[in-house]
Amino acid sequence: MNKVTILVVALGLAGIGCGDSSSGSTGQTVTIDFVAKVGAEDFVCGDTYDNLGADDSSLQLSDFRFFVQDVELKNANGDYVAVTLTSSAWQTENVTLLDFEDGCSGNDFGTPEMNMVVTGTVPAGTYDGLRFEMGVPFDLNHENPATAAPPLNLTTMQWSWQDGYKFLRVDSGNFSMTDWRMHLGSTGCDGDAVAGGTTACDNPNRVEVEFASFDPTADTVVADFAALVDGAALDVNQPETPFGCMAGPGDSDCAPLFDNLGLPFAGSTPGPQQFFYVE
Amino acid sequence: MKHLTPILVLLPLFFGAGCGDSDAAPGWVWDLPDTVPEPRVPEDNPMTVEKVELGRFLFYDTKLSANQTQSCGSCHVQELAFTDGLAQAEGSTGQIHPRSSMSIVNAGYAASLTWANEAVVLLEKQALVPMFGEDPVELGMAGMEDELLRRMREDENYPAMFAAAYPDQMDPISLDGITKAIAAFQRQVTSFNSKVDRWQQGDRTALDESAQRGMALFFGGTNAAGVEDAFECFHCHGGFLFSQSSDDAMQVFDQKFFANNGLYNLDDDGSYPAGNEGIYEMSGDPADKGRFKPPSLRNIAVTAPYMHDGSIETLEEVLDHYARGGRLIESGPNAGDGKENPNKNTLLNGFAMTDQEKQDMLAFLRALTDEDLLTNPAHSDPFAE
Repeated sequence: MNKVTILVVALGLAGIGCGDSSSGSTGQTVTIDFVAKVGAEDFVCGDTYDNLGADDSSLQLSDFRFFVQDVELKNANGDYVAVTLTSSAWQTENVTLLDFEDGCSGNDFGTPEMNMVVTGTVPAGTYDGLRFEMGVPFDLNHENPATAAPPLNLTTMQWSWQDGYKFLRVDSGNFSMTDWRMHLGSTGCDGDAVAGGTTACDNPNRVEVEFASFDPTADTVVADFAALVDGAALDVNQPETPFGCMAGPGDSDCAPLFDNLGLPFAGSTPGPQQFFYVE
Repeated sequence: MKHLTPILVLLPLFFGAGCGDSDAAPGWVWDLPDTVPEPRVPEDNPMTVEKVELGRFLFYDTKLSANQTQSCGSCHVQELAFTDGLAQAEGSTGQIHPRSSMSIVNAGYAASLTWANEAVVLLEKQALVPMFGEDPVELGMAGMEDELLRRMREDENYPAMFAAAYPDQMDPISLDGITKAIAAFQRQVTSFNSKVDRWQQGDRTALDESAQRGMALFFGGTNAAGVEDAFECFHCHGGFLFSQSSDDAMQVFDQKFFANNGLYNLDDDGSYPAGNEGIYEMSGDPADKGRFKPPSLRNIAVTAPYMHDGSIETLEEVLDHYARGGRLIESGPNAGDGKENPNKNTLLNGFAMTDQEKQDMLAFLRALTDEDLLTNPAHSDPFAE
């Protein structure tokens, strides 16, 4: 273990208050719209979508949620400035949960409430670019979920066996072991009982997204499930691994999905992410 | 000196991390012999009698499973040193877990929790895995956190118990209150009163001669074939836990420890059966295939079957496995010679073992059972009447 890592962890944890919210700064409010799609169609919880992946598979999608962190807008000088998030059930500190499912499955995994926006404030000005990461910041990701502020207290987004959160969860069918699912979060994390928790993760698996041209007053960020599974054979499963991808580094079913997210898998060097685009 | 740096850096962390937590717990006294350190207790979860008692009720309460059929205690049975006697655990919905239920005894001293997980090191967070995990389903409470708290609030006993456990809190019934109480209960399920402990504390009547000979072999003695430290047991199963993976309140080093003990070797890469591959499942590093935490050998005689997947039924067969230096499976889907596993710990080279030595080793291992633990009313199921 190296000293730098520990310093970062200590500083990160020291900065965590007791559920306090971000203070509202003076500036202009901004709303960044997100939409979930499956190819050309809007995602509707419970609908079945065809022609997915390499084998033109069909899936009934029953969950579609992801966290974004460190949302920044590009100002007139070309500098990215942080969006100070408005505290709400969907946002805490610098992380927002985007939730496109409405509890359609009828079981307890989903919530009727949905959220399709990041809201906050930025200094007054004009903005023409956007960047963010799909993920939960390291310090929040490895804090105690039982004391976390909403939305980090949703147990269905917690990934406790990996000491973190599911950054992305897309489920199909009835969430059974034989339904295709993707759960993505940091893996290969190293806990340290002396330090009191996780000190580093081999595979952070945060998806970096940047749109050099983005008008927050007019544009929408699209998360496209069809693009996520492009090239993936959804009807084929590596034996004795979860159906779909639980981000296991030994589950080859994850390889094309990670590639589409711009994430390395088993030493690969992926191109830019394809999951998000602007319209 | 570089190893000392982390402590200096981390001190501010611990002082800074408290959020209105109460002062040091008055009145909590660890029931431990002088030979054993106190477990590490998180700053934000001090031990109290009231919290431990709440934790005992929660540990044994089927309200913690979605269908109210299982509690933590369903797979962690006191009479079996908090294991369940099954090769692989069965969750509340009937799903079979890839792993064998691990004893919770002395879990407060574990450097990492469960069989093969480098990330989870806190009992408070580990409790969330069986409660809310989705694959495999154990207690099956994912998405039901509000229902769980409703069950607690509507119970005739819990509101007062939570209030007693968390006297400073306006709304003490919370998920955090549940996990902290269960963690506090588990932290005090300690077991250091075996015959071997009594021997080590100076009672020369505690072990018979066979167990004494077995202990000598265990701790590096020369076997009948004349090989010094032939058995090599204590390198993985040493220390006060009889597991190198240990932590305590005074420990300053991260002592997580995982080893491949040659149970399987499905191919040239040292593969283990898919779905049960050790920390490789989380790290993706092929060198981690088959690496599991050496469990504590305390109470090992009552926790059969053995290994992470319960694939060895008796202690005799465990000894045979180590004497051979790995397990040969001649046919079937798991065929392969574990002795040749490329990831196998380098100390596991096999050894000659006479029948007497085997009996001596068994006598020693059986002397690691703490009979008090198995019946201690303080750790028992409050709902069993």
